[in-house]
Amino acid sequence: MNTRVIRPRFRSGIATSVAAAVLLAMTACSGSPAQEEADSGSTGANSNATMALAVAAAPASLDPAQLQEGQQTYVWGSVFDTLLYVDNAGKLQPNAAESWKLSEDGLTLSLTLRDGLTFSNGDAVTAKDVAGTLERTRTTPGQQQGKLASVESIEAPDEKTVVLKLKQQDPSLLHNMALAAGVIGDPETLDDKTSALNPTGSGPYTLDQSATVAGTTYVLNRRDDYWNAKAYPFKTLTVRVIQDRTAVFNALQAGELDAGNVEAQQVQQIEAAGFKTKKVEATAVANLVLADREGTILEPLADERVRKAINMAFDREKLVQQVLRGSGKATVQIFNPKGVAYDASLEDTYKFDPAGAKKLLAEAGYADGFEVTMPSTVISKSFEPLITQPLADIGIKVNWEPVPPQNAAAAVSSKKYPMVFFIDGLNVAPRELQNNFGENGFLNPFGTEDPELTELISQVSLESDEAKAAELYKKINAHIVENALTSPLFYLGTIWATKDGIEYLGDGSNTMSTIRAFDTTK
Amino acid sequence: MTTYILRRLGTGLLLAMLVTLITFFLLSLSFDAVVRARLGSVATPESVAAMTAELGFDRPVLVQYFEWLGGVLRGDFGTSLFTSEPVGPAVASRLAVTLSIVLVALAITVLISVTLGVVAATRGGLVDRLAQAASLVGYIIPGLLIAIVLVVVFAINLRMLPATGYTPFDVNPGRWAATITIPVIVLVIGGAANITAQVRGTMIDELRKDYVRTLRTRGISTRSIVLKHALRNAAGPALTVLSFEFIAMLGGALIIEKVFALPGFGTFAFNSSLQGDITVIMGITLFSVLLVVCINLLVDLVNGWLNPKARIF
Repeated sequence: MNTRVIRPRFRSGIATSVAAAVLLAMTACSGSPAQEEADSGSTGANSNATMALAVAAAPASLDPAQLQEGQQTYVWGSVFDTLLYVDNAGKLQPNAAESWKLSEDGLTLSLTLRDGLTFSNGDAVTAKDVAGTLERTRTTPGQQQGKLASVESIEAPDEKTVVLKLKQQDPSLLHNMALAAGVIGDPETLDDKTSALNPTGSGPYTLDQSATVAGTTYVLNRRDDYWNAKAYPFKTLTVRVIQDRTAVFNALQAGELDAGNVEAQQVQQIEAAGFKTKKVEATAVANLVLADREGTILEPLADERVRKAINMAFDREKLVQQVLRGSGKATVQIFNPKGVAYDASLEDTYKFDPAGAKKLLAEAGYADGFEVTMPSTVISKSFEPLITQPLADIGIKVNWEPVPPQNAAAAVSSKKYPMVFFIDGLNVAPRELQNNFGENGFLNPFGTEDPELTELISQVSLESDEAKAAELYKKINAHIVENALTSPLFYLGTIWATKDGIEYLGDGSNTMSTIRAFDTTK
Repeated sequence: MTTYILRRLGTGLLLAMLVTLITFFLLSLSFDAVVRARLGSVATPESVAAMTAELGFDRPVLVQYFEWLGGVLRGDFGTSLFTSEPVGPAVASRLAVTLSIVLVALAITVLISVTLGVVAATRGGLVDRLAQAASLVGYIIPGLLIAIVLVVVFAINLRMLPATGYTPFDVNPGRWAATITIPVIVLVIGGAANITAQVRGTMIDELRKDYVRTLRTRGISTRSIVLKHALRNAAGPALTVLSFEFIAMLGGALIIEKVFALPGFGTFAFNSSLQGDITVIMGITLFSVLLVVCINLLVDLVNGWLNPKARIF
């Protein structure tokens, strides 16, 4: 190939595919697993089906303390059991723990393991193993450590019971037990280096080491001795890491994949090739994070009128139509539209109104506008003009400061940038709150605190009644939107293409990348 | 000659050390980012400190570098910070993918361009014009376009070749050949266009030279003149272009690897730098430098063997 001629043509392609890969990897970042009922098994008739699936991000380490909750979950979620799981309707369900109980004061969580749990080496899974894994995750610096920050001690009083004592109430703890932090590993093997690539599993599948190439292809075989094997219709699963969207599209059409994500403009062609498609409207939210809400380094942001003006500067509908080509949804909220906190009536809060925004800025004393520096990352790159122009129209000048790809996430927490454009995978409401407004929240680098919001959050963490909690979450959401604590722009969706005989069951209620969102149809 | 080779290899190793040292210093700027990336979204200052210490990033950069170098000398290239894969075997397996494509492509490129270039230069006329036109077209058409057409025709419609993926040669030679066919064709088209033009040009120059006329007057056959004498002299410059082409192909392979989802060296390098996987980037840097050094040495040696006047040893 003549690289001199074609290189420039490729640059943008690569940039796009990288951005797409990053987006995708984050899209599923966080959430919770899926299926109707733990014991109901799959509805499909074909229990010997195989499926080859494309994902955009390779599961890095299979060490429970280092798991990542993006599309990486397809692999680790199949190798490991989690204590609880979230079904396709977004409801928390028993899994390895057949029941759980949260004490009245919310400070003690007792989980009762079901009978017949075994590791892939045949050993029984005991409460001690579960406690050991949790304890190791809690004390090992890594992706999952923070999820167990509220835990003070973990005990295994008997063979079947695991008790978590908490320092303070933690509304996301139960959901975390359905995610990577609730994974069951074999503590005896976890510190062994090789276990990061080839762990002793507790889940429905084992890695076929001879056919697996780390970072590229993961071949998983169903364990017949797994307690809930019938809930997994696929005998063999192949997870292929393909970052390039065109390559996924080609591989689907060439019959090399049975399921994968396609883009809106590819739907017609892939359907013509005999695939079914399913659109999930929202799997991630694109948010203009107004991080410096207290005006530590950018004074204007402390003013509610300024934050409202920023929210009014964007024609969100147009963004979705023209940029996302309809594959997404305009929003002013950070919560999953399928979740408890979402409130459709809030969407009208900030109409596109540059004149009104300018007026608000003038009232706040910034008639001449102001300047803001934002990190230009692999995530923000393709959206930058769409942010620069609307803000410029109301008098806010954005300077984009280039940040190397590997620093994209670190830039957010660097406290260098009062505003950051970030795309974050949708999560359950408590985790979303922790992420965006918690003291150590990733999207709250300045650690700003809103007393009213803090009060509401502590109320909701005490609330055991689901309906009342949902009401409180809606109230929290309204508070965030009405006070313009951040400026969400749109939800990003995904479109799944599945081969005849396979069905994607998810609708976005559960944003976790779980194999249980797939079923066979014949 | 042995001294020469050893000297060249010695300077190559020094160069590799210098390049990796600079790379490591540049990477040291991202230590904090790497720690945060590994910790994920919830990172308390304590866990940041603990992870920094665990990875040894809290020590002087020079100390860390020499520790890495010490490991390399013992054959230990470290472990990927993100995938826990040992770097040595990881780089080797990715390099095997890329090299198997690039080397096959290179061999075919040489075969095609020498034949075409020599024929065009000696026959002239229509054959020459056709060869020139073909090489121009090959030069102009972007590789990606060819790749897309080939995938649609041979992978999607005819299902004769795979659209994505790679099977190692030792697993299944037939499948290996199938997986590399389209990538190789894409690489060959651009490369052959380039080198055909080079061979044709230098061959024409050679054939006009006095020694050719002298050889002719002695009654030596055209075949012998062309293949034994002129081609040998023309091979030097072509070889140099070929070595550039090889290095360009290694770089160009990144695109090919992306389009065909091949687990190659380019993608590996690209992803590792995106993540800031420091140990992997170091391994890749070292292998790349050594690879380029070896190629250049090889080209000089072959050049010297072809043409004693070019011998520098």
